[in-house]
Amino acid sequence: MQKRWMITAALAAAVGLGTATAASAQQTTLRVGIASADAGVLDPHLNSTTPGRGFLQWIFSGLVRIKPGELSPEFMEPDLAERWESSADGTVWTFHLRRGVQCHHNFGEFTAEDAVFSLNRAATRETSAFSSDYVAFRSVEAVDRYTVRITLRNPIPSLLGAVMNYAGGFMVCKAAVDQMGNEGFRRRPIGTGPFAFAEYVPQQFGRLVAHDQYFRGRPQLREVLYRFVPSDAARDLAFQAGEIDMIYGRQDQSWFTRTQQLPNVRVVAMQPAEMSVIHLNMTMPPLNDIRVRQAIAHAVSREQIVQLRGQSTSVAARSVVPAGYLGHHENAPLLPFNQQRARQLLTEAGHPNGITIRAIHTTLPGMMSVMEALQAQLRRSNINLEITPVEHATFHQQIRQNLSQVVHFQSARFPVADVYLTQFFHSRSIVGTPTAVTNFSHCRVADQEIDAARSETDPRRAVELWRTAQEKIVNEVCAFPVFEQLQLWAYRTTLDLGYELKASLNLAPPLLHTTRFTR
Amino acid sequence: MTAFVVKRLGFALVTLWAVLTLVFFIVRVLPGDPAQVILGDQATAGAIEAMRARLGLDRPLAVQYAEFLFGVLRGEWGVSLVTGRPVLVEVMSVLPWTIELTVAALVIGALIGIPLGVWAATNRNRLIDYVTRLASLLGLSFPAFVSGILLLIFFGIQLRWFPVISAQSGSLSAWFLSLALPALNLGLIMAAYITRVTRSAMLEVLQEDYVRTARAKGVPWRAVVWRHALRNALIPVITVVGLYLGVLIGNSVLTEIVFNRPGLGKLIVGALNQRDYTMLQGMMVIYTLVVIVVNLLTDLAYGAADPRVKLK
Repeated sequence: MQKRWMITAALAAAVGLGTATAASAQQTTLRVGIASADAGVLDPHLNSTTPGRGFLQWIFSGLVRIKPGELSPEFMEPDLAERWESSADGTVWTFHLRRGVQCHHNFGEFTAEDAVFSLNRAATRETSAFSSDYVAFRSVEAVDRYTVRITLRNPIPSLLGAVMNYAGGFMVCKAAVDQMGNEGFRRRPIGTGPFAFAEYVPQQFGRLVAHDQYFRGRPQLREVLYRFVPSDAARDLAFQAGEIDMIYGRQDQSWFTRTQQLPNVRVVAMQPAEMSVIHLNMTMPPLNDIRVRQAIAHAVSREQIVQLRGQSTSVAARSVVPAGYLGHHENAPLLPFNQQRARQLLTEAGHPNGITIRAIHTTLPGMMSVMEALQAQLRRSNINLEITPVEHATFHQQIRQNLSQVVHFQSARFPVADVYLTQFFHSRSIVGTPTAVTNFSHCRVADQEIDAARSETDPRRAVELWRTAQEKIVNEVCAFPVFEQLQLWAYRTTLDLGYELKASLNLAPPLLHTTRFTR
Repeated sequence: MTAFVVKRLGFALVTLWAVLTLVFFIVRVLPGDPAQVILGDQATAGAIEAMRARLGLDRPLAVQYAEFLFGVLRGEWGVSLVTGRPVLVEVMSVLPWTIELTVAALVIGALIGIPLGVWAATNRNRLIDYVTRLASLLGLSFPAFVSGILLLIFFGIQLRWFPVISAQSGSLSAWFLSLALPALNLGLIMAAYITRVTRSAMLEVLQEDYVRTARAKGVPWRAVVWRHALRNALIPVITVVGLYLGVLIGNSVLTEIVFNRPGLGKLIVGALNQRDYTMLQGMMVIYTLVVIVVNLLTDLAYGAADPRVKLK
């Protein structure tokens, strides 16, 4: 009997010791759960998906970067380039690179040749999804081993946005692409960021390891496991069970409130918000009549939609360019919610019994719930909105084929008004044309201001032009904004990101060399 | 027997060609553009056209079809249009997960379903029969994602016996822990099917003359049920299991998503959403082959279960 007790005591001591050792060992692997079954193609110049960008931003650097946790370009700071200068007219930019920056997996030093290669690759249609961001580039050249010169055809509002750690601005290592080819590189991406690619297991995870030669210092996290957990419920349960340290949240208020109540968990609603905008195709009757478009805008209550989506996770939109973007108009003359005025305008337009308008819409639940709420609001003003639900890929194709009278689009862009205005409201971007992007309304009232602001060298004057452009678009009711949906993330309080997380242009929290677990 | 297998393999090749041709054309007729999916919503129309050309989607359909068929004959499956990774590597990396889940679910389903079906049949219109019928009806009507979440909350969160993220590997215990809950989830649904089929087949067989004869000869009831009746009742059960197994491979997608497990079902749904033509084609080859093999094995199992069945 005594012997049995001794064994039990020894076992208890061993367990206690083990626990104590485990408790004292600091966690060095970060496990992230993302709402997707895959990260897509692992090429920073091709991948524009939320799960892809979140993952790739930890591997790649830019010549410059926005200070981690911030969104506005005013927080731009050095990354691979330690300093830069531009000519007086803003058409020639010179970047001076840091020396001794090492590419992952011994692919050598990052030099001006790599930067030139990266920017030319990002500007090429065959290798980049962001080539249109570089149409103003006349040439990119290596002046010497550590100096890069970019010459523009005309000045652009944010050259730094094109060379920062975002979209086409991610810098790849030329030697890796030369050795593996583009296809091989997409299976083993090589950059200069704090974490290096280690492995990718389809449908399970992507794994990164610390890049000990990272130019800012040795990363404190040793490993990042990026788990693909498409089910919201499973992701939440895995987070609760302690199998994941950081998760991408479901974009609604109930998730925010519930997750906030979990112990030792921090929930963040961060920028950039994805703005929900209703585009009205002005070439299709009855939407070719401005009174009808005004009636539709009057029939929608943005405040009610925000109440539906949740006060902590969304805000009412103020203009056709999202808040926080350089050039945003905080007092754009949006039409107020007024059902009586809506009915009156319809009668004036010759529709006393109301109208029927049609929208092809994605089946994505988050967007569909908003559209159904709008449908209910419009009905009260005698506007019958017929929704044709189609699966997401079909939605994206059909709205670009000019098949929908009404298009509900939700998106975030680089936070300078020019990008949003050009892609959604410039006549060059009208869908169905060879230069089409996402101008679904066929709006062309603000071309002059958008073009003028792009080549304006005085920043204050550019902002004025952008504000005028927004006023014109709002007055013409090419589209009207509804609300802005913030990005929701949750992570354990034991994770110290090393900065205050308020925003991330790549839609996932940046990981720095100083990011660590406190326990 | 050999002639039977050869004949079935001949049919299998024709079936495979028909399925591949259908899939090739159907995915291309569907709206949605892989180039658009790859480039995202900021791409210009010009960039999308350039991407279509790079992917070879701008060539005539007949040329694409011929190239695809020759590729299949040469054993070349191509690379995923979206991720650029080889199709065969992606499919083969998830196939073992699907096979082990399906087989484990089948074993659980058979172990629970057959005895329960026999028990219910031999106790017809008694309490046990009613309870079994009700339970199997519940199993059939319960959505897999709901039962999956309930299993996760109870065993993963409350009791902490099993991991929530099921895609674990490395050791035998990790493998078992990762397989147990998803297999149970699918296995219970399968058990519901098998219980109902076994019960009705047994009820029919128990009315047969040879069962009455066996009982009249004084064969013990247990031997009558398990040796004489069940053996004869197994043919419809095998048919259902064979058919259901094929369906299960595709239908396991909900279980794969809830338990965060790789698998063919999840890969198919992802490829369909992304209009990844080459991936869909590759998976259809695998899927068709699996269904053909399962059907062949089902036919062979008839002979094993009932010696009167001759395979010609």
